[in-house]
Amino acid sequence: MTIETTQPVGPPPPFDPELAAALEVIGEQLPSALTAEMIPAMREGNAIADLSDEDLARDGAFTVTRRNVPGPAGDPDVELLILTPAGASTPLPAIYHTHGGGMIIGNNRTGLGVLQDWAVEVPSVIVSVEYRLAPEHPHPAPVEDCYAGLVWTAANAAELGIDPERIVIAGASAGGGLAAGTALIARDRGGPALFGQMLLCPMIDDRNDTASAVQMAGRGVWDRTANYTGWTALLGDARGGPDVSPYAAPARETNLAGLPPAFIDVGSAETFRDEDVAYASAIWRAGGRAELHVWPGGFHGFDLMAPQAAVSQDASAARVHWLKRLLGA
Amino acid sequence: MKDLAVRLAALDPDAGAALRVIAYFDRLAESRAGLQTIVRGAAILSGCAARLADRDRRIQIRVQPDGTSGPGAAGRAELEAATGEPDPLWMSAPAGDATLWLERPGPPGPVDAMVLERAGAAARSVLDRTRGHAAHPDPALVELVVDAAAPEPVRLQAAARLGFNPSDSVRAIALEGGAVRLLHGAGPDITGRAGVGPAGPPADLPDSWAAARIALRFTAESTDQDPGPRIVHADELGGLALLATTHTEPIPDERALDRAAATAPWMLTTLDAVAETASLRAAATVLRLHHSTLQDRLAHTLPVLGWDVREPRGRLRLQLALALRRLHR
Repeated sequence: MTIETTQPVGPPPPFDPELAAALEVIGEQLPSALTAEMIPAMREGNAIADLSDEDLARDGAFTVTRRNVPGPAGDPDVELLILTPAGASTPLPAIYHTHGGGMIIGNNRTGLGVLQDWAVEVPSVIVSVEYRLAPEHPHPAPVEDCYAGLVWTAANAAELGIDPERIVIAGASAGGGLAAGTALIARDRGGPALFGQMLLCPMIDDRNDTASAVQMAGRGVWDRTANYTGWTALLGDARGGPDVSPYAAPARETNLAGLPPAFIDVGSAETFRDEDVAYASAIWRAGGRAELHVWPGGFHGFDLMAPQAAVSQDASAARVHWLKRLLGA
Repeated sequence: MKDLAVRLAALDPDAGAALRVIAYFDRLAESRAGLQTIVRGAAILSGCAARLADRDRRIQIRVQPDGTSGPGAAGRAELEAATGEPDPLWMSAPAGDATLWLERPGPPGPVDAMVLERAGAAARSVLDRTRGHAAHPDPALVELVVDAAAPEPVRLQAAARLGFNPSDSVRAIALEGGAVRLLHGAGPDITGRAGVGPAGPPADLPDSWAAARIALRFTAESTDQDPGPRIVHADELGGLALLATTHTEPIPDERALDRAAATAPWMLTTLDAVAETASLRAAATVLRLHHSTLQDRLAHTLPVLGWDVREPRGRLRLQLALALRRLHR
């Protein structure tokens, strides 16, 4: 899927005007290029933005519980944060969440507000996994933690009020890569049958050399340098080499048959554009089901950072529409 | 997810936040964003509903702080608030003839004040820019945009201020007395005679204007003494336009027309109908005459004019004579 960098690459596509304006407000608080030295400060900064349990409860609309469940064999337990809509009487679909943060930051509360908005539209239980972060815990720790949490969730669905036939895995950015990787593991090991995979601007290609990665270097959010930082934290010297597992970098997978229906979205002005478009194409080529949205002028995570912009509203609506179609809600 | 308003509130209001607000609206202006986007920016950055109203232009835009339009989910009270009159206590700023409100009582803090000022200015420039589509474009700008002696960048700037994009298709229209109008899309109500220039990009308006003035010379009052079209399109003149570029004395055929006109009040309208219609039968219909009456009239013209207008060559000669007579008025 690599696009040869010897082919001419034009200038970066322009940002959507409203998103460009929003970047003026966000810009200095969020540099494009992140390096390994910046990881501790990033983690501290991210923790400040965390939603509290009270925020998550949304005035009683959700019950917030935590479960420590077995991790991968020989590894520590994994914490699952479980948000159950109040008043559900029948088993609900579940959204199994793998959070974003470039493999290096974030926790199982990161980005949950968006999932709660979905759960209001499409009643479902949210299960968010606290996986170990790189670089302290390189591959396969993060994705194996995600898979272990999924296995437990499916096995204990009845207790959680979840319909085990309707578990959708979802994640954004690195979380999208982990969701795709977890879906590959579940397929290959005959694990829980996922009902869908929501891969939101997913980070799936450690080679970091697509046309969009080259185009967007130094621009927008999570540029080529930041991507290098994230992948190197996860894979060390193996990054970009011949021996990277598809579970770490799903773009490496050559057989995308037998996967649950995929929803993939990405901005046209972000590093991940071409790897995400290629992933959707590879799923179709394998005879699978995928819905792909490329939002014009979107930078990485535009919908999170400028949720009120017109293009962000459309992107959010497309996700809910897909969930409704998938789950028949 | 952090709202932009929250991000701004975290900054030093007098310096950092104000600069971000300025940069936000500057970016929107650069990309020629529309009113909806500007009002949404005001709502997003101030964190409260914003509205823009211009009674004369029937503009009424309201955006909530979440970026959506309309009354939102809050119910009837909110709906009434959205459709009711602006509260006099709200913060507001003029935007040309329009007014921009933030739906919160004043006095405005530093961020609100800057939002009002910059959003108001951005809205005003959009309203100014689109004034060319309104009833009364600035006559000085219109004259400038058709002036062949003005440098092209100056003309294009004037065209932009009149609301034209470089790719728009625009015509110049020459009116009696030397006045110029511009036509983009649907035609304006023109009373009186008009020459219509060919459509083209705004940069070509001087050529369109020159052609329009030539076309104007081929128009007529559409009266018995001056029959013919009140509106002539330069596109349809063909080789006739060349006649306007030569400065000749009236030719004998024109004097013959004048002599003929003196013999009967119906003469010129009859000859014009014969020249302009496809057949004598069609000419009779236009004149509301019986076919044989028209034949009688044309028999009468033969000795006065000296040529037979029923012959193909005689008809061309008549057409040229009528055209020259208009040019020499």
